[in-house]
Amino acid sequence: MLFGSGMLVPTGQAWIPTSAGLIPQSAFARELSDEVRRQLKFFSPDEYLILQSAAERIVGPASAGAPSAAEIDVALRADAFLAGADPEIQEQFHLLLTVFNHPVFTFLFDFRFSAFVNMNDDEKDSYIEDWMTSPIAFRRTAFVGLKRLCMSMYYTDARSWPAIGYDGVFAQ
Amino acid sequence: MILRGSDITKPIRETADVCIIGSGCGGGPVAKILAEAGKRVIVVEAGSHVTPEEFVLTEESAFSNLYQQRAGQATEDQAVLVLQGKAVGGSTVINWTTSLRTPDFVLDAWQKRFGVQGISPKEIEPYFERVEKYLNIHAEPDERHNNLNRVILDGAKKLGYRAHANGRNVKDCNALGACGVGCPIGAKQTVDLTYIADAIKSGTTVFANCHADTIKASGKTKRVTGSVIDPVSHKAKFDFSIEAPVVVVAASAIHSPVLLLKSGVANSSGEVGKHLTFHLTTAVLGVFDRPMYPWKGIPQSAMCDEFLNKSGDGGGFWIESVPATAALAGLSMSGFGKRHRAMIRSYPNVAASIVLVKEIDSEGRVIVNSYGRPSISYKQGWKDLQYLKQGLKEAAKIHIAAGANEVYTLHTKETRLTSVEEIDKKLSAASYGTNEIAFYSAHPLGTCRMGEDPRASVVNSHGETHDVKGLFVIDGSITCTSLGVNPQVTLLALAEKHGEWLAENWKSVA
Ligand SMILES: Cc1cc2nc3c(=O)[nH]c(=O)nc-3n(C[C@H](O)[C@H](O)[C@H](O)COP(=O)(O)OP(=O)(O)OC[C@H]3O[C@@H](n4cnc5c(N)ncnc54)[C@H](O)[C@@H]3O)c2cc1C
Ligand code: SF4
Repeated sequence: MLFGSGMLVPTGQAWIPTSAGLIPQSAFARELSDEVRRQLKFFSPDEYLILQSAAERIVGPASAGAPSAAEIDVALRADAFLAGADPEIQEQFHLLLTVFNHPVFTFLFDFRFSAFVNMNDDEKDSYIEDWMTSPIAFRRTAFVGLKRLCMSMYYTDARSWPAIGYDGVFAQ
Repeated sequence: MILRGSDITKPIRETADVCIIGSGCGGGPVAKILAEAGKRVIVVEAGSHVTPEEFVLTEESAFSNLYQQRAGQATEDQAVLVLQGKAVGGSTVINWTTSLRTPDFVLDAWQKRFGVQGISPKEIEPYFERVEKYLNIHAEPDERHNNLNRVILDGAKKLGYRAHANGRNVKDCNALGACGVGCPIGAKQTVDLTYIADAIKSGTTVFANCHADTIKASGKTKRVTGSVIDPVSHKAKFDFSIEAPVVVVAASAIHSPVLLLKSGVANSSGEVGKHLTFHLTTAVLGVFDRPMYPWKGIPQSAMCDEFLNKSGDGGGFWIESVPATAALAGLSMSGFGKRHRAMIRSYPNVAASIVLVKEIDSEGRVIVNSYGRPSISYKQGWKDLQYLKQGLKEAAKIHIAAGANEVYTLHTKETRLTSVEEIDKKLSAASYGTNEIAFYSAHPLGTCRMGEDPRASVVNSHGETHDVKGLFVIDGSITCTSLGVNPQVTLLALAEKHGEWLAENWKSVA
């Protein structure tokens, strides 16, 4: 919710390999529980873990009563949301997660030799910051897409509300 | 009668006098007027029919069921989130009730620059009056403004700026603050509860969850075809075909041009989809040392209109409040991670105001993407950017004058302002490029411009396409320029006027 199409490159321009094709399932995805795997409707196990890992840093770590992105199941909620999204949005999100995580691109954009999911928390934060403030417009665009997805999945869930003092639209 | 997608059990094959595509500010009044004139009217609406008792009052449910692309519609580069409704009643089901007439200088420009007839302030006055009476439009008394609207009124007063209560289309409003997710007590006088309800009393049939794909307009009879969508699975379950001598496209400024472009009709001028205006919007967030509860109370009841057309160039900006529900607040606040968490903890003490720019040199365009859906682009002009910067500065000053300790903009990089000096300095130096600041639009307009020159416009002064007799466009797409005010009253008045003309001239049109 609250993000749209046209995230990276115009639909159909295949200059970046898609996650479905060229990139093999990595070791981290093999750790994923069968229960979560069964629930996935849109993400591959790799993509699920990339989004979960990004959401954790984008929403911010759990603190003072605020649950983490994982506790709110942001990645699973995003999976259900994207499963019902328009095909152009689906296509762009597959692409975005691949580019965001893959070591080829972390090196190309940021001279980092590691996949996003394998970075430590500080590295992840500074990597996300680089996307947010990049002089390359499509990286900022990708950051906005990821942020909209994560924040809207997190803050539409009532479990996130007590920590920010929100009591819902119809509280009166 | 309203038939929901779930009630439809077989493909639809119907004939009518008029088929109206879309049931918002454009479609609703035309349906009522023609039905009351004895015409057999069919309305097809892509969205669902949801009654006040059925609204689930959360952003999650409202976004999924009542908004275009589940509130995710945006420009191709993500720079502008384009909010629109998708329901029987159109965007009025989720809009914020601000009800204002078109400024005279805008109507003058439409007459002078585009040759539009019959819309001088005097000629359109009776239609405004009719809309205002029918929808019970009135300003709220002073004690009903919530904290956010108070900030605008009090801050502007201290600075000597003009600010006042605006009209609202409500009856017995309990100030529940749910306008953006659907008014649960039916106090908001939305198009479904008024125009469409009256059209139904006069025999109109509304097919909800029916998405029109094409209009065939070769002979006298036109055929609208599309799909009946299952409201749960969102998958097409049947097709539909409706034949009528008159078709009114009222699917909004984003979706009407898509229909015309896909159908290959009414575009000999090459103008369909062009001249999109957004009333480009961004916001300031003032943090106060007392609770403001930015999601509570009447969302919009006052505005500061000091800076609209102040220099006489037709541009400028407008400042209003905005209901900052949790998800909107979460994704609008700057940055991410720990800093974002720290900032959102002050959420109950935040007041949000929006700055809306009446464009004079920015323009967008709607084309059809490879999936047959809208692809939206927008280019901001230099003059409008100057107004945007000035608007942000003035809105921030209003917050400081009203007692805010600090004010934030929606720049991607956190921009914190605590004094007038800082406001001027930091906002002059800030970046405003693609995705360096968050922009929104809840007022997309233009794209099938009205005018008397068939080379430069899509429809004439009555909303009929220059190219195809009996094919009309009557909705937010026919405005000639940015309005500078919230559009619903303008669009309803135009629809009343065009609907009336159509009823009176039926024989020559159908
Ligand atoms: C959050 C929000 C707040 C707003 N607040 C205000 C306010 O306070 N005051 C104000 O004046 N204005 C406000 N507006 C704007 C105002 O509601 C719109 O400008 C107005 O409703 C537009 O009228 P329309 O007829 O052009 O389109 P809409 O009212 O959007 O109606 C178009 C309808 O057509 C349907 N449709 C689209 N494509 C198809 C298709 N292919 N087949 C069938 N049906 C289709 C859509 O589902 C929709 O229901 C707000 C808008 C939003 C989104
Ligand atoms: S403020 Fe509440 S009661 Fe009033 S119109 Fe909006 S939703 Fe309805």
